[in-house]
Amino acid sequence: MMSRRELLKSTASGLGYLAFAALAHDQATRQSRAESPSPGPLAPKPTHFEPKAKHVIFLCMDGAPSHVDSFQYKPKLQADDGKPYARGKLLGSPFQFRQHGQSGLWISELFPAVAKHADDLCLLNGMHTDLPNHPQAYLQMHCGIFQSPRPSLGAWLLYGLGTENSNVPGFVTFNPPSSNGGAANYGSSFLPAVYQGTKIGGGRFGGDPNQVSNLKNPNRSPRTQRVQLDFLQELNRSAGENGIDTSAVEGVIDSYELAFRMQAELPQLMDLSGETKATQEQYGIAANRARGGFGGGGFGPPSGDGFGRQCLLARRLIEGGVRFVEINVPGWDHHRDLKGSMQRSCGAVDKPIAALLGDLKQRGLLEETLVIWGGEFGRSPVVQGGDGRDHNAKGYTIWMAGGGVKGGLAHGQTDEYGYEAVEGKVHIHDWHATILHLLGLDSEQLVFNYAGREMKITDVKGGNVVNEILT
Amino acid sequence: MTRASLLCFGVASIALLGGRPAAAQLQEGQKYWAFQAPQKVSPPSVKDTAWPHSDIDRFLLARLESKGLHPVGDADKRTLIRRITFDLIGLPPLPQEVDDFVNDSSSSALEKVVDRLLDSPRFGERWGRHWLDVARYAETTGKTSNFNYPQAWRYRDYVIASFNADKPYDQFIKEQLAGDLLPTDDPKAKAERLIATGFLAIGPKALDERSGLQFELDVADEQIDVTTQAFLGLTAACARCHDHKFDPIPMQDYYALAGIFRSTQTCYGTVPYIFIASVRPTPLLPLPADCGLPAGKPDRLTTEERERIQKQIDDLQKRETTDQIVRLVNFEQLTLLRARLDAYDADGNAKLLAMGVRDKPSAGRSPFGRGRGPGMGMGMGMFGASGGSAAIADSPIHLRGEPNQRGEVVPRGFLQVLSRKPPVIKAGSGRRELADWIANRDNPLTARVMVNRVWMHLFGRGIVPTLDNFGVAGQPPTNPELLDHLAITFMDDGWSVKGLIRRMVLSRAYQLGSHLDAANAQADPENALVWRMPPRRLDAEALRDSMLSVSGLLDSTPPVGSAVARMGEGPSLSIFPGGAGGRMTQAVNDTRDNHRSVYLAIVRDYMPESMSLFDAADCGMVIAQRQSTTVPSQSLYMLNSSFSQRVAEAAAGRIYESGASDEERITAAYRLSYGREATAQEQGAAKDFLTRFSAAAARDRVPAFRLNKESWAALCQAMFASAEFQFRK
Repeated sequence: MMSRRELLKSTASGLGYLAFAALAHDQATRQSRAESPSPGPLAPKPTHFEPKAKHVIFLCMDGAPSHVDSFQYKPKLQADDGKPYARGKLLGSPFQFRQHGQSGLWISELFPAVAKHADDLCLLNGMHTDLPNHPQAYLQMHCGIFQSPRPSLGAWLLYGLGTENSNVPGFVTFNPPSSNGGAANYGSSFLPAVYQGTKIGGGRFGGDPNQVSNLKNPNRSPRTQRVQLDFLQELNRSAGENGIDTSAVEGVIDSYELAFRMQAELPQLMDLSGETKATQEQYGIAANRARGGFGGGGFGPPSGDGFGRQCLLARRLIEGGVRFVEINVPGWDHHRDLKGSMQRSCGAVDKPIAALLGDLKQRGLLEETLVIWGGEFGRSPVVQGGDGRDHNAKGYTIWMAGGGVKGGLAHGQTDEYGYEAVEGKVHIHDWHATILHLLGLDSEQLVFNYAGREMKITDVKGGNVVNEILT
Repeated sequence: MTRASLLCFGVASIALLGGRPAAAQLQEGQKYWAFQAPQKVSPPSVKDTAWPHSDIDRFLLARLESKGLHPVGDADKRTLIRRITFDLIGLPPLPQEVDDFVNDSSSSALEKVVDRLLDSPRFGERWGRHWLDVARYAETTGKTSNFNYPQAWRYRDYVIASFNADKPYDQFIKEQLAGDLLPTDDPKAKAERLIATGFLAIGPKALDERSGLQFELDVADEQIDVTTQAFLGLTAACARCHDHKFDPIPMQDYYALAGIFRSTQTCYGTVPYIFIASVRPTPLLPLPADCGLPAGKPDRLTTEERERIQKQIDDLQKRETTDQIVRLVNFEQLTLLRARLDAYDADGNAKLLAMGVRDKPSAGRSPFGRGRGPGMGMGMGMFGASGGSAAIADSPIHLRGEPNQRGEVVPRGFLQVLSRKPPVIKAGSGRRELADWIANRDNPLTARVMVNRVWMHLFGRGIVPTLDNFGVAGQPPTNPELLDHLAITFMDDGWSVKGLIRRMVLSRAYQLGSHLDAANAQADPENALVWRMPPRRLDAEALRDSMLSVSGLLDSTPPVGSAVARMGEGPSLSIFPGGAGGRMTQAVNDTRDNHRSVYLAIVRDYMPESMSLFDAADCGMVIAQRQSTTVPSQSLYMLNSSFSQRVAEAAAGRIYESGASDEERITAAYRLSYGREATAQEQGAAKDFLTRFSAAAARDRVPAFRLNKESWAALCQAMFASAEFQFRK
């Protein structure tokens, strides 16, 4: 037990947070589980200005889906199919595009269900990123740059906003790849460890892809476990005085506190059995379908109803106060068999995404939830190997919906073949700045002092908010 | 800086080579530091001449001094022996070992510890595991249909034995790439060298690939990828579809290597299977009968057992049906039963088989026919799958990587940018020449890449931080002179890995304390110049092994084979509920296994939780450096998993027995878990905890006779879960 004098002493020597945590724990014990959210690093923080959105659901298509076969209609590309272009031949999209909704957005036949929500979609058709290479681009999409370790977008948001519910992780990522930068894509880098994402599933490891394991201790009541945890945290605090970096020890302490609190609330949040059969069916969840998330090696498109489950879980987590939920969907690197691969990949996600949009809207959550769909870059208008498309970082589409963006809008444009963004160009830094803006944060002000510099997600160059898409 | 210039890292001239690189472009490319031979440089002079213990220290200190930085103080002896024991053998030191070292005031005290640890059989288990990360070691095929490699464990044991024997690293490379081509009359050495080539065979494979040509190209691609990344720190596989986007590696070079691997037969076993889940079985390599290696499964198949299996086969064959599905299911059973019989010879003795590679026959000679492996009885003909090359041949370029888009044929060869005097391939696949070209003093990358890996494992960060990318898209060395010094002394010392480790850990830099100095941290937050020893989390294996060790449960005897070997050929995980793979999920989830973690069954896409939650290597790819996360799912594992509770109970029992009073027991707990004495305050806190926990547990209606046991178990579990246990300083 720490005396007041010791507490003050350690605060002065830079162990302030640790000491604070000690106090909070002692209080928690005394209050015998009176649920007072600890005002630690996860406490809600004031935004820089009035936010439009409070939560983000990021549907991340790992492998880079083709924009010219999904959300960018290129009639000239269709017309010039087979003609020479650059060092190859143009490949017209094998898919039909149609206008949808009152806004008349062009969307291909691959997304019939999502297309019904056309008037809620904001297509960023002028996206571009620095490198047409998966690991770098995936990292840049998540962390701003790829050259050195940086916190991921979810970690920055959690750092800037805190969480609404300290009993569940503020940042959850389903099925993150272990390649393409791996854990850095949901890591906190130099930000405190408490801001890193909690991984659920992960295509390359076993277990139920939609659950967090070890959520219950079969032998101990929460009260008894709290006694053990208090002792454990006392041990941890002394480790912080014994030559292990205090930031690392704080990460361990926070991690145990969060784990302890998660046991009470997460099981209910993660339990889909309370959802009606109709809701489950909308998301494509069926009792008789394979439960797996992403069968095989995590390379192919989703099999079974895992993605639908994860979309529904995302809604429940958002309702439960989670700030940032990401669902990674592998299998979009269509160098070969574009037609069949796109049909399979899009077919696996179209209905659950539409269900998620509809469900959020119906519950009044869409206006405060920013839903994002996209991959790390787009694909080339020229053919690769007769029936595929190569990588293309110069122009592609990411769409957003809800949370303060204009619906039914196609912002920006690539050239007539879809190769390079020419109008309304949005670089990854601009995209990050816009997302932060929608959540009430100024990317220039959301900084963290590290290595003698004020670091920010948009790096040295900075990003411009895409004002045209804001409501 | 413009965004475009970000790509170039200051060497724009060689990035993004277009078309066939002219000799001039390759020459230009050779100017890049990593493609230049390591330079021998005299250690620099330093101002503080008293600080360095060795040349390593002089190279480091000179850089620190030039930036106005000072190394922090030395670590205390308790910290040091704990650090070095974790780093060298992956286990905590025993209390007696700590005492001996602390009480040994001789100048050779540390050397004695280092030599003891290097001689321990536990050393190979630790450093072999590091190599297994690089070698993407696993015991199943992974990918869409996941099938067992029941012989993969032999490669695991080979790697562990090689590190224990301090096999020269150049020899280690040669055996893994071309062990089958290295002549020897000794049956044991012959067996080991065949097993070594398992390196090329254990990669992920899509056994459901219908096109034989596509499959052959994919296998060769995976072999090019692992070979160039593991030994050269280059991503040559990027040049499959186009010239490398950053490095001077044209497609010609890729297909020169592809020719070597396409002239090689990869032998990984597996069985054909229903629903086209597996159409690519191969034979395995027979080992010399007198090599003295174990079978990894029961040595004998009794006559009764054989007859029982044969009867099952006969019954299945008699069962006539027109139902297509039933026929397929029967076929599945037949395949597995035949594979079981096929694992034994006619006398019922287990066949000694290994994964690995061998050269294809020279063009014109008879194709394969020998060495039918398990499951080959069904033949591949039924699937009509073929298309790969049957004999040694150069490979054409496949434009954009497409099987059907053949370009010019490229002679088998090596990466031009690294070849000032490339060897000539006269006969055979060229693997022997490839191995000689890599395991060579003249190759500018081989030694550098290895010393950098070893450095990272000891110092937490590579001198080249991008360990598996020494190319232009990687990062430059923070201390190039030190890197070259280490590489040259490594080669001069006969490529001895133990010697290399010994030099590093006896440096003063390795013995630095771990405290964070504010001024240094401000100037060099990543500790790139090594002004302290950064604390880091134990990796998954070390954490699990340490818990087993402290609790007294650790079974240090290496097991023979693995759970996958005992299961035999077939799908790893159930295709149907209750199907053949059910036993494997049980084996992987068996939390009662007390062997070291390196021996756990490694099923691709189904890693044990004790490994996957704690950032173990993804066995689908070359992993040079693991990630390190701190997340609540780990905390939940430490608080609630059956493993953590079982181990804590065992530790509690051991500690309780060891002392006559609670004070003695608490002392024992601290000495075993943390390698130090408990302070008076810690004694008080622990006693206080026992009282409070006991009271709380009593309210939970834990019976009185178990209160003591449970309280001590809770105390041990908390110690295992704590930062001091999970971090090595």
